[in-house]
Amino acid sequence: MRIVNRRDFLKRTSSLGIAALGARALGAFAQDVLNVGVVHQYPIGEVGWETQHAIGWKAMEAAFPGKVKVTVVSDVQQAQDSERVFRELASQGNKLIFGTTFSHMAPMLKVARTAPNTHFDCCASVTTLKNMGAFEARNYEASYVAGVIAGRMTKSNVLGWVGAFPIPQTVWRMNGFMLGARSVNPKAVCNVIWINTWNDPAKEKDAVGALISQGADVLAGSPNTPVQGVAAEERGAWSVANCSDYSKFVTKKQLTGDIFDWRSAYVDSARDALAGKWKAQDRFRGLGEGGFCAMVPYNAAIPADVVADAKQREKDIVSGKLKVFAGPLKDRDGKQHVAAGASLSDKEIRSINWLVEGINGPFPKS
Amino acid sequence: MMDMLVPVLAATLGAGTPLIFAALGELVTEKSGVLNLGVEGMMLVGAIVAFITMRGMGNVWLGVAAAGVAGALMALLFAFATLTLQANQVASGLALAIFGAGVSAFIGKGYVGVTLESSANAGISLPIDIPLLSPLLDSLHPLVYASWLLFAGVNWFLSRSRAGLVLRAVGESPASAHAVGYRVIRIRYFATLFGGAMAGIGGAYLSLVYAPLWLEGMVAGRGWIALALVVFATWRPARVMLGAYLFGGITIVQYFAQSAGIAFATQFMSMLPYLATIVVLVVISRDVAMIRRNAPVSLGKPFHPSV
Amino acid sequence: MQLRLEPRALRSRSMRYASPFIAAALTIVMGFILFAALGKNPLAAFYAFFIAPINSINRVAELLLKASPLVLIAIGLAVGFRSNIWNIGAEGQLTVGAIAAGWVALNPAFADSPLLLAAMIVAGVIGGMAWAAVPAFLRTRFNANEILVSLMLTYVAQLLVNWLVFGPWRDPQGFNTPQSPLFADGALFPILIDNTRLNASVLLTLVVVGVGWVFMNKSFLGYKTRVVGLSSAAARYAGFSEKRTVWVGMLAGGAAAGLAGVGEVAGPLGQVLPVISPGYGFTAIIVAFVGRLDPVGIVFAGLLMSLLYLGADSAQISMGLPAAAASLFQGALLFFLLGVDVLVNYRVRVIRAMATHHRTVPT
Repeated sequence: MRIVNRRDFLKRTSSLGIAALGARALGAFAQDVLNVGVVHQYPIGEVGWETQHAIGWKAMEAAFPGKVKVTVVSDVQQAQDSERVFRELASQGNKLIFGTTFSHMAPMLKVARTAPNTHFDCCASVTTLKNMGAFEARNYEASYVAGVIAGRMTKSNVLGWVGAFPIPQTVWRMNGFMLGARSVNPKAVCNVIWINTWNDPAKEKDAVGALISQGADVLAGSPNTPVQGVAAEERGAWSVANCSDYSKFVTKKQLTGDIFDWRSAYVDSARDALAGKWKAQDRFRGLGEGGFCAMVPYNAAIPADVVADAKQREKDIVSGKLKVFAGPLKDRDGKQHVAAGASLSDKEIRSINWLVEGINGPFPKS
Repeated sequence: MMDMLVPVLAATLGAGTPLIFAALGELVTEKSGVLNLGVEGMMLVGAIVAFITMRGMGNVWLGVAAAGVAGALMALLFAFATLTLQANQVASGLALAIFGAGVSAFIGKGYVGVTLESSANAGISLPIDIPLLSPLLDSLHPLVYASWLLFAGVNWFLSRSRAGLVLRAVGESPASAHAVGYRVIRIRYFATLFGGAMAGIGGAYLSLVYAPLWLEGMVAGRGWIALALVVFATWRPARVMLGAYLFGGITIVQYFAQSAGIAFATQFMSMLPYLATIVVLVVISRDVAMIRRNAPVSLGKPFHPSV
Repeated sequence: MQLRLEPRALRSRSMRYASPFIAAALTIVMGFILFAALGKNPLAAFYAFFIAPINSINRVAELLLKASPLVLIAIGLAVGFRSNIWNIGAEGQLTVGAIAAGWVALNPAFADSPLLLAAMIVAGVIGGMAWAAVPAFLRTRFNANEILVSLMLTYVAQLLVNWLVFGPWRDPQGFNTPQSPLFADGALFPILIDNTRLNASVLLTLVVVGVGWVFMNKSFLGYKTRVVGLSSAAARYAGFSEKRTVWVGMLAGGAAAGLAGVGEVAGPLGQVLPVISPGYGFTAIIVAFVGRLDPVGIVFAGLLMSLLYLGADSAQISMGLPAAAASLFQGALLFFLLGVDVLVNYRVRVIRAMATHHRTVPT
């Protein structure tokens, strides 16, 4: 029996590894199969955040049949681990690597700096590098339109929002929702409850119950699961979906919703990479063709004139005629953030940390 | 105000129900002298098995039954390790908790985020219309009623039945029970399996009724709280009920507090249930004499039947 | 023929060393069966799980990086477990240690000091110990079960760090997302091997392994606490204080976990995030047991656990195996170990049926 000492072993296997890598790298240029890596933070379910991303990369696979090979790693929950996985994917010849959540930004930045020949694209990132792009959805546009519907359909004039954590994405959605509701119903208010977890559906249900007990008859928030909609329906309240379309589970009382549509994010990025023309971009898109969010089909119970109004607003937002965060805008403490005639800049939107008038409930002050 | 009361009470009863199943089951197990720390793992496995069964078969009660069986099987692993192989009960219980988390995440892979149609709260309608009680009873799920039946059953079993007396004897002094001819190990097996089945059903309530969907780790610490409840209750079933509903109440109240504009940061409100658990543990445990009077004497200690 | 368990007169030494290997072998067999049942090639899965994660310098560095906090915390926990002090809240103690280190790192008073990292380490250790002191105090003073108290405090610590990164520590340049500012270079552990993430906190872990070995095997205090764990009656006779044992057991775990917390925020993370640890505090419990509560065993067990984590990722990438396989294996390993451990204290005796004697009459 030959005894292989550790150093030999490592040398042998690492040289094999390098040879394989070299062959693979050459291979990546020789053929035009694009190896793509995607990392998910949680398991991919039937609905929810991860599912919407899965729809995106599956569309990418379908758009370039035979030319795109996707390696998916899911349930990588922590930053320390995702950094290692990104590096692994890069070292295994994946030329285009996607991150699917904000917490991937920091680890991806570190890896991107050491892998200049690989393209990186991170959802919800606020920083870009020469080889790392970002893409984010202006889903405040969609939640504005949903708010218009909610404002007309509420009878108690009390809306409810169950939030997990008060991150800017959630805050700009809430503000969009409230502004939309108030544009048709100046008496509407929105009560918010924060449950401080992404993973406890029982708490979501309890929070929905509390909001309804305090008068809310339209619920929104539902970051990831249909639980809120189902709980609201049980108590006879409307709900607005977010992230995915939950009408399969919330069969009667889902008004509409704002879902993420990442397909063009993945497809466009892959197309550029295949053509050798990939450049890091910071894509921040909303409703409309090639955008990153969309409205869920409207509930049949909504009166036709309300639907028509909502659809018109959608059009106006896409054409630029209607700006959701147009001034004058004050926050709920009375401080003015946007003057008349102006509107919030992208940077201000992406770092938003104040709530518009009409939203009641706790909010952390930093 | 009054029309808030019924939903709040219903929510409180609902929040307490999974705790009742798990804690009453663990109480019986501990009464026989076995300390099973793996409640969280058994609840998780019960939750996912119930969910999968419900998805496949469409019947809530089948799901509940499957959860009971799954919980009992997990408990069987633990029982085999500790009662037959004489492994350390604390370590084995921890292993069960961790293993249960892993198993449930594993088999639940394909079901993450999948939601069931809300299972109808087929409550009980009283023939006469009592102002508060009727709407409340109407809105409760049958499993809540089942938990009350469980309480009655466990209470009767422990305090009035012969078999319960034997079980308590096994917990207090296994050597004497053995000398008189009772099969200590076998009785402990049954008690442990029963505890596992109840924990499984508690998990099923979460994934079938409360949520109703499956998410990894959705039991979120309730199994550990159930363990604390047994101590809080000084091993008496009635106090388990009280503690479970108190705990459920705290969980619900924080949401109402948020909407009422109470200015605390919400993270501190979310801490309340856990801090409350610590406080009640301290309050109860400090009376060492009371603990000694009420805790089964042989709790956690292995028993070697000398043949 | 039947099998019977018979108590041994003396604990078997050879089984003590062999049982972790037997348990590991059983876990691997279970894994093979599982992979086959999932329709994956068991040998390829075995390669992906156990060999692939270590076949490059970078990957070995990752293995050590991941094993370091596991071993570190497990040593601290082992001190307690040997004395029957069950510190289950190491995850929370790690978080509080990270918070304390973060406070030092973000504090302008320390900004340019050459002692920044040292101060962070001290702060982290003190933070972890402080969080462990609560269950220790409640146990010695009020007889409250330390398992439940330390576990509840884990949830509390989690919410605390959440509040900090959403509130007072939120990075003003960070677009109001929940994270602290990035730490300055002086607040990070230096990297040991270029182009890897292996940093100097690994050296601290080695030191703690050494200290732990000396404490457990050579020190009087270590001996005393062990006696308390084995027999509280004997300990009382000898005048060994149970209260002191509780404090020592809990604080050792807290200090180690706090130090591991520093290792995370001053290492791969480089800032304070809403969630610091991927469950190291809980996995370390398994590491402590698989390592037989002994420093040398713990080092091997930590490397094995780390390998299981990395293997799960690698198997996902190369074979599409589900991610939960890792925690499944870890739990199974612990269970098998607890079961196989019985052979340390008991012997398996095969009882043959009584043979009927034939008396032969001598002719």
